[in-house]
Amino acid sequence: MKFLLTISLRNLLRQKRRNIFLGSAMAFGVMILITANSFSHGVSDIMFNKLIVYMTGHVGITFNEGTGRRIPIFRDKERILKVIQNNIKKDEIADVDEAIGMFCRAIGNGKADNVVVVGIDMSKQVSEELEKEYMESFNVVEGSYDDLARDDIENPVLLSRQKAESLNVKRNDVIRIRFQNVYGQDMAARAVVVGLMANDNLFMQGVLFVELKNIKKMMGYRPQECGNIQIILKNPVRDAVKTADRLHEALNPGPAFIAGTVRGAAKAGVTILPFMADNDSKRIMRESFKLASGRLDDVLAKDGVMIGRRLAGLIGAYPGSKISISFKPRFADKDASFTCKVNGIFTGPPDEEEKLIYMHESLFYKYFYSNLPDIIKDKDKAYIPPDDSPFSKALGTEWVLLDRTATTDDATKKEAQIAKKKIKAMTMDVNTMYETASDVLKLEGVLNLVTLIAVLILFFIIVLGVINTLRMSIRERTREIGTIRAIGMQKRDVRSIFILETVSLTFFASICGVVLAFIVMELLSLIKFNVVDNPMGILLLNQRLHFLPTISGIIFNILFIILIAAATAYFPSRRAAAMSAADALRHYE
Amino acid sequence: MDIIDIKGLVKNYPLGETTVHALRGVDLTIQEGEFMSIVGPSGSGKTTLLNIIGCIDFATEGSVKVHETEITALTDREVTDLRLHKIGFIFQTFNLIPVLDVIENVEFPLLLMKNQSKGEIRKRADKLIDEVGLSEYAEHRPAELSGGQRQRVAIARALVTNPDIVLADEPTANLDSVTGAQILELMKKMNEIEKTTFIFSTHDEHVLKYAQKIVKIKDGRIER
Repeated sequence: MKFLLTISLRNLLRQKRRNIFLGSAMAFGVMILITANSFSHGVSDIMFNKLIVYMTGHVGITFNEGTGRRIPIFRDKERILKVIQNNIKKDEIADVDEAIGMFCRAIGNGKADNVVVVGIDMSKQVSEELEKEYMESFNVVEGSYDDLARDDIENPVLLSRQKAESLNVKRNDVIRIRFQNVYGQDMAARAVVVGLMANDNLFMQGVLFVELKNIKKMMGYRPQECGNIQIILKNPVRDAVKTADRLHEALNPGPAFIAGTVRGAAKAGVTILPFMADNDSKRIMRESFKLASGRLDDVLAKDGVMIGRRLAGLIGAYPGSKISISFKPRFADKDASFTCKVNGIFTGPPDEEEKLIYMHESLFYKYFYSNLPDIIKDKDKAYIPPDDSPFSKALGTEWVLLDRTATTDDATKKEAQIAKKKIKAMTMDVNTMYETASDVLKLEGVLNLVTLIAVLILFFIIVLGVINTLRMSIRERTREIGTIRAIGMQKRDVRSIFILETVSLTFFASICGVVLAFIVMELLSLIKFNVVDNPMGILLLNQRLHFLPTISGIIFNILFIILIAAATAYFPSRRAAAMSAADALRHYE
Repeated sequence: MDIIDIKGLVKNYPLGETTVHALRGVDLTIQEGEFMSIVGPSGSGKTTLLNIIGCIDFATEGSVKVHETEITALTDREVTDLRLHKIGFIFQTFNLIPVLDVIENVEFPLLLMKNQSKGEIRKRADKLIDEVGLSEYAEHRPAELSGGQRQRVAIARALVTNPDIVLADEPTANLDSVTGAQILELMKKMNEIEKTTFIFSTHDEHVLKYAQKIVKIKDGRIER
């Protein structure tokens, strides 16, 4: 093999000019390929690690409570964080954030503008690397990023220079903001500008950043509650979908119930269960329920409850009477209580008659979410009808977990279907960047297309160049082929000489192409682009093109090119090897 | 002992719509260790006969036995191996490999054999180069040598594998008369040293004095 390689390499040097031309074309193609690939990787890096991280996270868990005004709130933050902790490996996860943002009207010095206020958790310990990345992304040019955490300033806020200009504010000025809190109340607050950012990320330019605890307070979140969750992964492309699937499975809701005490003429322990108000559930209730007293239409109304016959007897309740229910919430020391009207009395198995109260879901979830019972602790004392109970399918769950979707289109269709269903329970959705940020990700597709075109150009350069050069070479060396065949070289060795020549040329050209690509990338990275208010600005990092070459990518590209060259060289080489030695020796130019 | 045994050899070439009858029924036997010349005018079929004996061309009809092996029945791989191990070639235009120097050209067939160590190969090549008198040119490329020197290299290359037969197709045609005579002297000497059968073709009557046996060929037939 070494001997064949020696002959091949020396033959390459025989036709220096021709091979330099072909090699240069190959090197140019490799340069384009590596540069395009590195740019595409760079843009992916910006998108996955610098944009999506701040926009939606790689995996998101979103919550919507309430029917009219959907509130992004989960009432038991600890529980959701535990699910995340138990279902994502430590080495896969980079960060978990609460994504709380609100649309506001901001009033500066004589100027007003619409803004989005976004919370940043300053209390969280982050790695030096991540902190450096944050600093690069925020690029605070006036004031200090760390001032966001100050308690001695009223709602410290960080904003872009563009937004500061539109509000006519500078550092230490006060901005008044008007917004609605999670309960739909109109609120106003003051915020003090502690820093200005020179940011080329279009998605960050319209945002006012405040400390997470401040925005949660402004919006009315209680300490145990959280907003939507964003999960940042170390390898989003590899792990996002499978992580979302795993979380989705782990977040399957259990039955919703309130285990409390009912008071009428006497008091008794009861379990209150919600029945759903959609048409299918109502049909099940109508078909399965046996009423001892009251009308079925009243029973299914929103304003009251239905109690068992034995319980009604025990507490002296009848249709139209009022009963008081109290229970121990998870996050309060005092019992929560409410009063409701009895709309009907049902008959059934003794346990159900004695221990159950059915409540319309609209009414139930109002009490359930505002004073969340300790579902896990209360499970033992609650009475939950078995799964084969006739109307178990009509009963509500802790929340409604939406089906997983793969694309934005599917997610949009799902949202429309959910809106039609008018679900009263909180809906929970586990999504990935492929659903929430697909428009941004489409950019990567466009860039990959550019790379593919570069590959095709390269492919044609190689195919045409190699075929042409080999044809000439074989024609010129026909007598030589005849000689070595006559001396006793086997066909496969003759074929190998020509393939090795092509592969060697391609290899050296590729190395030159890689070196050239690094020079070109370095030069292009020096150019500073001023693209304020231009959406293409998101392709830049600190106003410069961001190239991210990878060793595996470069090796793959070189191997790919060599493979194309070897495959192209194979057929002319085979023809050369198959020539009759006598005919080849008779050949004259 | 017959090293070559040819019976009823016919070779036809298609040339456009016509057929060239290069050999029209040749019967020939060659003894081991002979220094034999095939003589005839241009187009008489000398090169075709040598090519068929050398297993680089195939008969249209007839039987060709080299060392009692019927070569017409062999596969390409077997024929290539036979050429490598049993036959050496010397060409009119020398046909050295231009990218290899003298010693590498001589070593070339031994490297193809893949059955000797580097040291053995180098030793054998050095010996042959010494015998053809080119020791001081061992590291020269063919382009740096005269015609006579190139043909000496070709002789060393043909003999390096210690073949049974060396075929030389008009080995002196591209050389001046003095150099041509030296080459034939050298071939004769090598025939004596290495005990190798030499078959060379020529149309030059002056070189016949070197041959032990002369076979005349005309219009594709042996003249008795």
